Amino acid sequence: MDCPGCGFQRSLLLLLKGDLFASIRMYWGTIPILLMLVFLLLHTRLNFRNGSKILIWLYCGNAVLILCHYFYKLGLY
Amino acid sequence: MEYQNEQQRDIFNQPVRPLPNATAVLVLGILSIVICFICGIIALVLSSNDRKRYQENPGAYTSGSYDQIRAGRICAIVGICLQVILIIVYGFFVAFVLKNIPRDNY
Repeated sequence: MDCPGCGFQRSLLLLLKGDLFASIRMYWGTIPILLMLVFLLLHTRLNFRNGSKILIWLYCGNAVLILCHYFYKLGLY
Repeated sequence: MEYQNEQQRDIFNQPVRPLPNATAVLVLGILSIVICFICGIIALVLSSNDRKRYQENPGAYTSGSYDQIRAGRICAIVGICLQVILIIVYGFFVAFVLKNIPRDNY
């Protein structure tokens, strides 16, 4: 019985091994979450003008992506 | 942004500083997608004081830091709601599976 975070760690390991597509297939949200965290780090250092708004959209986009992947894993489509 | 700060400084004759917990609230709000529940709750608790302080005296704080507080709060609230919904869905599924386990009638 899968939980919404299942596969994140495995996907991360696959990414570190260099297998981009396997990582995406294992967990759709890994790369978007990592990109969001990088942007968060840059925003705290460099203070972009609309950085906070962009982060809200990135976060909501990630939330939708994780939801979609969870329902896809459960077979509810 | 610089001009705005200078105006605020002239009007209130005090240095404009960022809200104290702005970065923490933003980081915790965004981390609430990876580290469930606890980050979102801490972010909301930390941001309540700052929000009150900003609303009483908006000129004394940078608007950028208030944007960060807002973003952190929104992300934390979305994260908490999402997790509550998913826990309920998960609970229903587990209950459904448990109910339909075939029993051995010997």
